[in-house]
Amino acid sequence: MKASYLGAMGYSDRRNFPVTWPIPPAYHNPATSVQSYQEGITECELAEEVGFEWISFSEHHYSGRIATGTPAVVAAAVAERCKKAKIALLGHLLPLNNPVRVAEELGLLDNLTNGRLVIGFLRGTPNEDQTYGVNPAEGRGRLLEGMDLILKALTEPQPFSWEGRYYQFRNVAVWPRPVQQPLPPVIVATRSDDTVQYAAENHLGLGVSFLPVEQMATITEKYRGWCEKAGWQPEPEQVLYRGSIYLAETDKLAEEWFENLTRSKPAPAIALRSTVAGAIDAARTGGQFDIRNLVAGSADGDIVGISPTLSFVGGPDTVAKQIKTFHDRCGAGVVDLFFQQPSVEHRDVMKEIELFGREVLPQIKEF
Amino acid sequence: MTQAEHQPAVGFKEGYLDVDGFRIRYTEAGEGNQVVLLEGATWGMSMLRNALSQNYRVVSIELPGFGHSAANTKSQSAQELADTAIRVVHQLVAGHYTLIGTSFAANVALWQALQSPKIVEGLVLISPTAILPNEIEATINPQDRCLQLLAHPENAAALTAIDPTIWAKEEELVRRLNGHTYDVRAEARLSEVRSPTLVVFGVKDKTVAPEAARIYREKIPNSNISFVYDAGHLIEAERPEALIDAVSSYVEHRETYIVGRENHLINP
Repeated sequence: MKASYLGAMGYSDRRNFPVTWPIPPAYHNPATSVQSYQEGITECELAEEVGFEWISFSEHHYSGRIATGTPAVVAAAVAERCKKAKIALLGHLLPLNNPVRVAEELGLLDNLTNGRLVIGFLRGTPNEDQTYGVNPAEGRGRLLEGMDLILKALTEPQPFSWEGRYYQFRNVAVWPRPVQQPLPPVIVATRSDDTVQYAAENHLGLGVSFLPVEQMATITEKYRGWCEKAGWQPEPEQVLYRGSIYLAETDKLAEEWFENLTRSKPAPAIALRSTVAGAIDAARTGGQFDIRNLVAGSADGDIVGISPTLSFVGGPDTVAKQIKTFHDRCGAGVVDLFFQQPSVEHRDVMKEIELFGREVLPQIKEF
Repeated sequence: MTQAEHQPAVGFKEGYLDVDGFRIRYTEAGEGNQVVLLEGATWGMSMLRNALSQNYRVVSIELPGFGHSAANTKSQSAQELADTAIRVVHQLVAGHYTLIGTSFAANVALWQALQSPKIVEGLVLISPTAILPNEIEATINPQDRCLQLLAHPENAAALTAIDPTIWAKEEELVRRLNGHTYDVRAEARLSEVRSPTLVVFGVKDKTVAPEAARIYREKIPNSNISFVYDAGHLIEAERPEALIDAVSSYVEHRETYIVGRENHLINP
């Protein structure tokens, strides 16, 4: 099994952020920000040095928690410092982006890295539909069409036009083409049936993020069934799990940290006002949401979001066993790890990476 | 209801010509620049024809052996059918025209453009099967064939049920004229096509290999290829609005259709 380090590039002073998304730019201090990106890149360098075989980046917006709104830019910067690891762009939020532009960024990155690129496609979290004003109801359709268009743009050697449902381009001729032919490895990061099926039918890899192992196992079982129907079986590297991690020298230390974390009542992930979350959910599912039907809330508002959970917590042996479960139950061949937890500072992330490389990696490489 | 009730579409007038020993049906409507459509197996579809007739003089020619015409046992190749079509067009259309064909009729249109380079001012090949056709099962029935031609089987409901007798007659003719076989002679002459050419494929067309489109683009000097998302071989059945938009735009602007003309100003 291989390990991937998620280069989140979190803003170091993130523990003072307000709860709700988006984080106002007023919280941004240029000097802190510059230092944070340098620290983030240093973490990637160390990860590569201790044996992580992939370094990944993910598009997230309007927040310093994962501060990579334009992941290709960060990926290019890190690729110049990390010369061996795969550069995994996991990935672009397709519904938000011009697919031809995404294809151009991917083609260029595969050239800049001399064929080390791994491509990932994502729909994005509900809040991110609001980044560029995309109708949440169109997200699924834009993702499916965007994937088709990008794959065509990266593989078609002649200029073409595209008559889509969401996209129309009369002249597509992506330059440069990828170094890896016919295509760099592609992972569809999803948990929805239609997109899992799309990945299987198009011989693409599957990525699952932050779900418990039982739920991922259900998804990978469906995926393998559809792969078999399409006449192939995925290689281990084509099944990826992304999870959050806190690694300590011992289980006891990790438990103490986690207890302190939960006692401090951290902000939920992807926190939104409940009204906004309700409106997004209604828009995504075609339901109705009329704020005029609600009694006026408090100035603070009700905040909803995902409770902080960690996929992997413990000392080295415990974390290795937890990761093995995803390998054994789901067939995951790559684990993509998010170390930058809200209350963990750069120097502690560096210690975790070093410990992971020394104590955990040798174990999971045996899986 | 059976395929194409043999009535001309509203606004179209019908006529017949005797050419090369065939009694050939044609319909025409509209005014303006001239568009000739070669009709092979239409599966009852006429949306593109009707849409084009709003802005152009459209002459639609039923190729002998297709639709309600008598079985064609005489023509020996797509090229020969093109010769017959040229003689029909000569009697119906004065001057330049844009030529459009779909599937096997696109193969015929390709030969017609090769043989009439000076008067075909634009060529539109929709789902042509001349280059890199995939193996097509011979004994399949019309319903199953229809499903093979669609990206989404549920779209079959939008098609008019085809008369099995007509389907069998058309299928036999296409097979005899090597309509499911790689036309290496046509490919060898693609570089001689003088007309600006648009080649349209559904992204999920299973009747030709995905590499077919690029061969047209490489070899026809002034050509564009267009992929219609979420459509199979019968693009008109699954994405009619996209097909009409692309083809109409090309008929109007030919290779300059790549120039964007939409106004995106929100608050003038």
